[in-house]
Amino acid sequence: MDNEKYLKEVLKSQTLSFDGPELAALQQHRADVENLLRDHFSESSPTIRYGGSKAKGTMIRDAYDLDIISYFPNDDTAAGVTLEDIYNNVRTALSKEYMVEQKPSALRIKGNSKENLGVDFHIDVVPGRYTDASKSDVFLYRSSGEKKRLKTNLDVHLNHIKNSGVTEAIRLMKLWRTRNGLSITHFALELLVIKLLKKRQSSSLTEQLEYVWKEMRDNIDNLSIEDPANPTGNDLSDLLSATIRSTLSYVAGTTLKGIEDSGWEAIFGEVEENEDNKTARLKVAASSVVKPTKPWLDYEKGMV
Amino acid sequence: MRKVWYKENPALLVEMKEEIKDDFPNLHFYESNGVIVVEGSFPIRHDKKSLDRYSIKITFLKDYPKSIPIVEEVGGRIPRTLDRHMNEKGEACLFLPEQRSEIWPIGSTFLEFLNCPVHNFFLGQSLVERGEAWPFGVWDHGVRGIRDYYVQLFGTEDMDIVIKFMLFIIAPKIKGHWPCPCGNGKRLRGCHFPFLLELRDKIPRNVAQRSLQFLLEAKSGKRKLKDNLI
Ligand SMILES: [Zn+2]
Repeated sequence: MDNEKYLKEVLKSQTLSFDGPELAALQQHRADVENLLRDHFSESSPTIRYGGSKAKGTMIRDAYDLDIISYFPNDDTAAGVTLEDIYNNVRTALSKEYMVEQKPSALRIKGNSKENLGVDFHIDVVPGRYTDASKSDVFLYRSSGEKKRLKTNLDVHLNHIKNSGVTEAIRLMKLWRTRNGLSITHFALELLVIKLLKKRQSSSLTEQLEYVWKEMRDNIDNLSIEDPANPTGNDLSDLLSATIRSTLSYVAGTTLKGIEDSGWEAIFGEVEENEDNKTARLKVAASSVVKPTKPWLDYEKGMV
Repeated sequence: MRKVWYKENPALLVEMKEEIKDDFPNLHFYESNGVIVVEGSFPIRHDKKSLDRYSIKITFLKDYPKSIPIVEEVGGRIPRTLDRHMNEKGEACLFLPEQRSEIWPIGSTFLEFLNCPVHNFFLGQSLVERGEAWPFGVWDHGVRGIRDYYVQLFGTEDMDIVIKFMLFIIAPKIKGHWPCPCGNGKRLRGCHFPFLLELRDKIPRNVAQRSLQFLLEAKSGKRKLKDNLI
């Protein structure tokens, strides 16, 4: 298969169908979270909107997410006096129903019941406060980095990515990130890809990706990203820390070498088939196992 | 103080990277706080095709290869529940430590670790997720699994005899003229001597010791065999 066609096939296999189980579950959780927030913060009447890869058109099956944005009016203090208070109060509210993992500005929600303990719901809740009554820009709390607050704008972010002209390259780079267990955030990766491909929007996907990886491999220390909603005000340098840079550079290098040695399929694998017959094929795989093993559970290690 | 394994034996780390790079190009080695971790996506392969993938993290503790690497699912796909054999930290329990020498004896390669217990575990997860049974069965959780293993091994449900056998695995040495723990009145020499000598090679003393401790606690009622979980 021709490389360009192969990458398109990979993208197709990574597209979630609108009536599939993943998006249905996402929708159910979205409704639950929204109800919880509206109920808990009824006095503050937050503005609730959706962002994340679904809204940006960069969703992939292997790593999809939904941002639930909960912005409070600029003159409201019922949800919290400081930005940090708001963040903590939203976290406390969510903790009643979910296992909450703290991210620098967002709260990732996971299952907390006996059946789904720790299961990722692919949802980040992002609390913030509008900067003024026009309800456009917002301040977000930030638990890491130098500044404890970020000024940002959801629509500017969404448009920056939706209209970048390189959403296919972004989706493939997100898949590459997930497949290799890289810790760079989706946001930072999106900004980086858009910046690097600014003058290469009409190049082929193979050229675009190879260019991005070459820059990562050869020029990582000179790469930087700016927040499109606040280019000079928000310091995003901790999103590209020294560890993240060296890892990106190293994996980009092995990726380029992989293409050279074995072609593009070495990077994204064979195009995965749909779910048909998956169970039967898994059973065949099981029946060909030479040395079967039975799992156990050592409840002394964190279970009681 | 003893050096960590990859500083003492850097060649082993190089070898591990080399041996997995063709089959698992998406798994990468990192050094983090003095331990080696491997992160990336792990494919369930059959006939050179991947049927499924899991985001995993494998941690090699300071005393690797003596210790078994810790395998975690980091994608948040598998619930941290007893039925899925994941503890609440998201760590997989691949096999009973007693069975290590059958499954992945000391001296086996990291590639063999990935291709056998890790592959089997995640293949099982994919089937269970689809409502199927565990393909190779499972051990019951905690002390119950330990009991079942030794009951099978010694061919008796009599816990007093099981415990006697275990003491003979743990003992610093055993002698042929001692009475056999099976209770048939013979001496070890004419009875279970070769069997026990083999087990003493197979099951590390500290592993048997820990299991015996659990069984004794269960027997005395300090540890309940049932309903003691969650
Ligand atoms: Zn005997």
